[in-house]
Amino acid sequence: MSWQSILSDSLIVASHLLLGGVIVVFCRNRVYIQFPLFFAYTIAEVLQFAVLFPMLLMKSVTGWEYTFAYWVGISLSAVLRFGVIHEIFSHVFHNYGVINQYGRPAFRWLTVGLVSLTLLLAVYTGANGLDRLASIIYLLDRAASITQCGLLVALFFLASYLHLSLRSHTFGIALGLGVLASVELVAAAIRSQLGYAGSTAINFLLTATYLICVLIWLYYLWAPERSPQFAVKAVPEHDLEDWNKELQRLIQQ
Amino acid sequence: MIITLALVILALFALLFLIRLAKGRIFPSTSSDFRAEVQPVDIQAFRNLIDSGEEEFLRRNLPPAEFRAVQRQRLRAAADYIRCAARNAGILVRVGEAARRSADPSVAKAGEKLVDTAIRLRLYAFQALVKLYLAILLPGARISAAGLAEDYERMTRVVFLLSRLQHPSRQESAAS
Repeated sequence: MSWQSILSDSLIVASHLLLGGVIVVFCRNRVYIQFPLFFAYTIAEVLQFAVLFPMLLMKSVTGWEYTFAYWVGISLSAVLRFGVIHEIFSHVFHNYGVINQYGRPAFRWLTVGLVSLTLLLAVYTGANGLDRLASIIYLLDRAASITQCGLLVALFFLASYLHLSLRSHTFGIALGLGVLASVELVAAAIRSQLGYAGSTAINFLLTATYLICVLIWLYYLWAPERSPQFAVKAVPEHDLEDWNKELQRLIQQ
Repeated sequence: MIITLALVILALFALLFLIRLAKGRIFPSTSSDFRAEVQPVDIQAFRNLIDSGEEEFLRRNLPPAEFRAVQRQRLRAAADYIRCAARNAGILVRVGEAARRSADPSVAKAGEKLVDTAIRLRLYAFQALVKLYLAILLPGARISAAGLAEDYERMTRVVFLLSRLQHPSRQESAAS
C-alpha cells in the first residue's frame, strides 16, 4: 500500500467520522427540523461510506460491483444535494417577502438556464480517454457540478448584493456545498479532458476538499447563532419609499 | 480544451468569491454608527437629471454632438446618485435586520418594513443602473419604453400615410 493511498484512505475515514459528528450536532440542536434534506444527505453519505469502504477492501467484490455501487451512491448524493440547495433557497426566500416574490421565478429560470448550458456543453464536448458508460457518467457529474455551483454562487451573489444576513446554519451549509461544488467542477472539467490520467491527484484533491467542507458544516452548526452587531431602539427616518417611486418611474420610462 | 479551461477558471473564481464572503462574515466591517455611514442624497436633483422633458429640451436646443456629451454627463451623475441611494439602502437593510430582532413588536414590525423597502430599492437600483449604463453607451438614442412607444406610434403613422398615398382606392373601398 503506497503512502498516497494510506493518506487518501485516512482523509476519507476522518471526513466521514466528522460527518457522523455533524449528525450528532444536528440531533442535539434539533436542526434537522429546519433542514431535513441536509440531514438526509449527511446520513446518506455516512451510509454510503459504511457500504463502499468495506467493499473496497473485500477481495470477493468485483470491480464492476464496486463501480455500480459507487455510481448509485454518487447519483443519490447529487439528487439530495439539489434538494439541499432548494431547501437553502426556501429558507432565504421565506425570511424576505420581497425576494420571495421575485426570487422563486428567478431561481426556476436560473436552474433552467444552467441545465440548458450544461446540455449544450455535453453536446459540444466529450470525455476523452474513457469508455462510453464512464464518459456519460462524467458528463452527468460535470452537469450536476455546474448547476449546483451556479445556483450557490447566484445565491451568495444575491445575498451579498442585497446585504442579506443569512443565518449561521444556512450560510454554513451553503458555503460547504458551494466549496464542494466548485472544486468538483474543477475536477470534473479536468477529468473530462484527461480521462483516467491524473485520477489519483484528482481523487486526493476531492477527498481533502470534502474534509474541509465537513469541517465548515461542523463549525457553523456547532457555533451559536450570531447576534446582531448593534441594537436598534427605533427605526431611523428615511426616504427609501420616495427613491423607490423614482426608480420605478425611471425603469418604466 | 478551451471549454475545460473556461470551466476551471470559472470554478476557481467561484471558490475565491466564496472564501472572500466567508472571510467577510468572520471579520465583519460594519460599524454600529450607521447614521455616520448613511450619506444624504438629494432626490430633487436626481429627478431633474432623469426628467424626460429636460432631456427633450436639451435635445432640441443643442447640436447633436454637444447633446450627447451633456446627456452622458447627466446620466453618469444620475448613476452616481442611484449608487449612493443603493449604498444607503444596503446599510438600512442591516439596521432593519437588527430592528427585526427587537423585543418591542412595533420596532420589529417597522424593521421588517424597512428591510422590505430597502431590498426593493436595491433591486430597482440594479435594473435602473443597467438602463442608465445602456443609455450612457447610446446617449442619442431613446432606450426608454416610453420613447420606444413614441417611435412606434410615429412609425405606424408614417406607414399608414405611405399606404394611403400608394393605394388611395383601397382607402375609399374600405370607407364604403
